[in-house]
Amino acid sequence: MPPTSKHRHQLSRSHTLLAVAVALFLLIVSLLAPLRAGASPQVQSTATPTVQATPTFDEQRLEKPVIVDDPSEQLKKGSEIYWGICMACHGDAGQGLTDEWRDAYGPEDRNCWQKGCHGTDHPPQGFLIPKTMIIPGVAGSGRLTRFKNSQELHDFILANMPWWDPGQLTSEEAWQVTSYILRLHKVMPLGFELEETNASAIRTQHAVPQPSDDRPAVLALTGILALAAIGMIAQDLRRNKISVVAKPNFVHHLHPPTLPALQARFRYTLGAGGLAVFLCLVLLITGILEMFYYIPTPEHAAVSVEVITSLVPFGALTRNLHFWSAQALLIVVSIHLLRVVLTGAYARHRRLNYLIGLGMLVLVLLLDFTGYVLRWDEGIRWALIVGTNLLKTIPWAGDWLYRLAVGGPEPGTSSIERFYTWHIFVLTLAMIILGAWHIFRVRRDGGVAVPPPDQRKDNARISRFDLVQREVLVMVIAGVVLLFISMFFPAPIERPITQATVDVQNERAPWFFLWVQQLLKLGDPFFWGVAFPIVLLGVLAILPYILPQPGEEELGRWFPRGNRLAQIVTIIIAFAITLLTILFLIPTTQL
Amino acid sequence: MKNISRRDFLKLSTNSLFAAAGLLGIGGLLRYLSYQFDPTPQSEFDVGPAINYPLHSRTIVAHVPAIIIHDEDGLRAISLTCSHLGCAVEERNFGFECPCHSSRYDPNGAVVKGPSAANLRKLRVEKSEDGNLHVFTT
Repeated sequence: MPPTSKHRHQLSRSHTLLAVAVALFLLIVSLLAPLRAGASPQVQSTATPTVQATPTFDEQRLEKPVIVDDPSEQLKKGSEIYWGICMACHGDAGQGLTDEWRDAYGPEDRNCWQKGCHGTDHPPQGFLIPKTMIIPGVAGSGRLTRFKNSQELHDFILANMPWWDPGQLTSEEAWQVTSYILRLHKVMPLGFELEETNASAIRTQHAVPQPSDDRPAVLALTGILALAAIGMIAQDLRRNKISVVAKPNFVHHLHPPTLPALQARFRYTLGAGGLAVFLCLVLLITGILEMFYYIPTPEHAAVSVEVITSLVPFGALTRNLHFWSAQALLIVVSIHLLRVVLTGAYARHRRLNYLIGLGMLVLVLLLDFTGYVLRWDEGIRWALIVGTNLLKTIPWAGDWLYRLAVGGPEPGTSSIERFYTWHIFVLTLAMIILGAWHIFRVRRDGGVAVPPPDQRKDNARISRFDLVQREVLVMVIAGVVLLFISMFFPAPIERPITQATVDVQNERAPWFFLWVQQLLKLGDPFFWGVAFPIVLLGVLAILPYILPQPGEEELGRWFPRGNRLAQIVTIIIAFAITLLTILFLIPTTQL
Repeated sequence: MKNISRRDFLKLSTNSLFAAAGLLGIGGLLRYLSYQFDPTPQSEFDVGPAINYPLHSRTIVAHVPAIIIHDEDGLRAISLTCSHLGCAVEERNFGFECPCHSSRYDPNGAVVKGPSAANLRKLRVEKSEDGNLHVFTT
């Protein structure tokens, strides 16, 4: 029995109320989850040292490290090292060798530098403390001012401590001590594990707000979207062919009213073009969000990336989404390009749109490279230098192009500002304009493709409502996959570039330019690094103009006979690029 | 609710899930945007030895900004940040004037003419052990 319209109206109102109630409940639960996790009872363990050193004094202060409220392994180890090595001089509370601290020792040891262990006549196990030396405190107001952040403190400890035997600590132990000292100094957030890819975000003079664990919320979001996708699929299976929706909304209006069902076949389009649009949207949104915290200066760029990644709520998620969408975009547009060539879809009046698409491929590569460089950490150092030096090898215009890109005689403040401007503004704007034009041309040129000849009489059409529904479904599924990848695979990050560090190196180009790096091993940098890739691009660009095109009757199918030559050329190029990348990745035998 | 069809039910649940995801996203967005990394600004200023501020002196310390007044009542400090919208006020023969919107204050910081509605703030002044004056802006 069909419900009356009044009945229906009431039903839909209660539906809305129910929906809002469910949504609010889920939201509150998921937002509270991280708070609860943060507030859950922490094991209040006193970090008891397992180091079996025997304190020679029975004063309580010397017995064990100052109790710490954070039972993380790094801090516990740090407290043991500090207690065993540093505390004697730097004090149990990091106060330094004050009179008050010396009084904690027995009378015979209070003036330790006069005789005995630390005098001029010290035994082999001891060491001399010069009488004039002031042993600084390491915690409390006004301390550690010579270090900007925990990275610098770690580097100093590693190189200079313990005073009588510098270099005794491993880097890991130096992190543990650093972590403990900064906890004494009250700037170290609870439960924060220091390492070289987040240490610059922890400053020595200002405590940072406690980072939250946002994994539960991300997991909830992923789960909800996955369920929604299932819901959509379930609806889709039961739908009638023609959707009856009275008024198309703005998004519907961006699509043609109806299109031949055969044009929207997944096994013809592979969904690559639509997926690329979705990835661009994700990149745009996450990119804008990153701009709220990113600081494009050599001193702050890498540090601000560390802040986004390890401190800002959902910052790691934002950055990972941006990174993985960018990598996925490159793959998706390559598949799109292959599809277009292998179906001969660039033929005739679609040649212009093919060129626009190639232009966008170049933009994606440039966007990927400039975005990669913006990290400004040790990982991009050599890629930046090689990439910009390649510009110099170009005859006539080389120096000018180098100055245009780098903004000075060598990479520095100007270059990061320029790369930033290129990345967030010039290239992005060009991408938006070309993208809009590209999509407009698809419609102007008669839709995605002409159906195969034997099926052109098929009058089945799908409405824009169905089309949008399909697009949303693909976006939701792609979003779930992206969220999932972003949750478990962090975007690369390395320690900031500083003058002091040249030993930590990543000499690899970003993965999409590894084939160029392999080519560059062959010889002349201009020929292999600039001219050759440009020639490849040029070959792709003139395919529709010089090589035979598929006949009208062949369109709408994979591998038409008419443009076999173009297909072969493209496959050879794709194969060569893949092969060069693999060759680069195969470790060469070191002799 | 009994005669809700299977399709309507699916549609309702799916839309609720989207609404939940949207709200969750907005919640995450708000938390993302409300993180504060930069330290809170300095609120204690060492303005040098107290003997630099003799009786019957009025000294402007621009970096606070404040004016330190030493008269029969002792040492006190008045903030030179306009209570209207935060510009630094300038000293005039009648007292202080704000260059931004022309609020006026008398020499003791009491508001004389709007748009400002409140007097200039009185700041806490303390002498430290080493004889320096410290001005507190909070």
